[in-house]
Amino acid sequence: MNVTQDLSFLSLITNASVVVQLILLILLLASGLSWFFIFSKMFSIRAALREADHFENDFWGGADINNLYQRTISGRTAVVGMEKIFEAGFREFLKLKRQGRMDVGVIMEGTRRAMRAACQRELDALELHLAFLASVGSVSPYIGLFGTVWGIMNAFRGLSNVVQATLAHVAPGIAEALIATAMGLFAAIPAVLAYNHYSHDVDRLATRFDSFMEEFSNILQRQTSV
Amino acid sequence: MPPAERKEPGRKWAVMLAVLVHLMFAAVLVFGVNWQTREASPVIAELWNSLPPVSAPAPKREPVVEPKPEPRPEPKVEPKPAPKPEPKLEQPKPAKVDIALKEKEKEKKRKEDERKKAEAEKKQREQLKEQERKELLAQVEAEQAELSKQRAAAAETRRQKMAAAAQAAALARGMEDAMGRISSHVRRFVVMPADVAGNPQAIFEVSLLPTGEVLNVKLSRSSGNTAYDNAVERAIHKASPLPLPADPSLVGRFRELKLKFRPNE
Repeated sequence: MNVTQDLSFLSLITNASVVVQLILLILLLASGLSWFFIFSKMFSIRAALREADHFENDFWGGADINNLYQRTISGRTAVVGMEKIFEAGFREFLKLKRQGRMDVGVIMEGTRRAMRAACQRELDALELHLAFLASVGSVSPYIGLFGTVWGIMNAFRGLSNVVQATLAHVAPGIAEALIATAMGLFAAIPAVLAYNHYSHDVDRLATRFDSFMEEFSNILQRQTSV
Repeated sequence: MPPAERKEPGRKWAVMLAVLVHLMFAAVLVFGVNWQTREASPVIAELWNSLPPVSAPAPKREPVVEPKPEPRPEPKVEPKPAPKPEPKLEQPKPAKVDIALKEKEKEKKRKEDERKKAEAEKKQREQLKEQERKELLAQVEAEQAELSKQRAAAAETRRQKMAAAAQAAALARGMEDAMGRISSHVRRFVVMPADVAGNPQAIFEVSLLPTGEVLNVKLSRSSGNTAYDNAVERAIHKASPLPLPADPSLVGRFRELKLKFRPNE
């Protein structure tokens, strides 16, 4: 092993063994992807929350349900989130009602099923890629640790060839090995934080969707029974 | 109802922000952490209690008597050519023209003479000046040549001295290196006695064969702890042959060694 006194960051990476370099590359990719998902999830969840607030305001603000429905199917804006559930439920409700001679229970059952499906789809879209964040958060420290162990193994193997062992022989090897751990932690910590935060947000949205579905079914049931 | 193809909002922003985060991380790593980039090289200072005599005149800078570059040009003394007043005089008094002409002639001649004289004088003066200048120049040049010769000589001796010093320093460093290697080699064989208080130094005189084998060990200054002294002595015997430096010019100095040991090293 040649002892390099130059411990600048780049030379540490370029002098590392191939395995360590590969691990660093993998970790860099994972970190890049997870940060991309963190930001894109941040935007989409924020948009969903804002949209839900907006729609609830409209819905409970006394607007006529038929008017609301007309607005959603006019297709001027993309229909997402709570509005989507409303649209799916009300469309099913209208279809079933137009067929006539149907039991209230059957109509309500069909409506609820339609709403549930739409809700599942919305939640699925919101939860997309959260699993990736979770796995990056849990796995990348181990990958980094593997790189570190490999690097330290090499450092000590090189040490055995030297007659007079000094700390200066091992230090660069250990430093370059520890970079892998640092990289792993850098990838993992934000991913774990973001996963926890976002899954909590999605859960809260799901509860809101659920309660909206219940309340909307009540309203529809009142309309049919009248 | 088919699941509509969703467009994630702010995809571009997400990419940009992710890249930004990584750039920041890289910047923190590269610039924020003080990576040890250079090992401090040993500095060798040489102490002289008197300045070398040759280099003494070097700093005294001769006040440079730079000769004035050019004899000041003096073309202004040039007498003005006379003919200017002529046309005015001619017309109104045709009778006096002759006299006037003659007088003018005379005047002209006189002026001419004066001018010639002045020119000659000037020439002489200039010649004189030139000569003076040349002499001065020659003198200064000679002085400068002398000076630079002295300076070159001083620089030469200084360089020689420096080279000698550097060589000596390299030798000293080699010696020190080798000594360090020997003592750390010996230290490996030292079996520490249990009760060593403090950090006393023991000095041994060791005679070696040219191969590095230990011929004789003598305790020249005890550490005060007999157990430690004995342990080191045993270790020196056990460590034989000692690692000698590879440089053959150094080996000759390693026949008699003075090794110093401290328990906590």
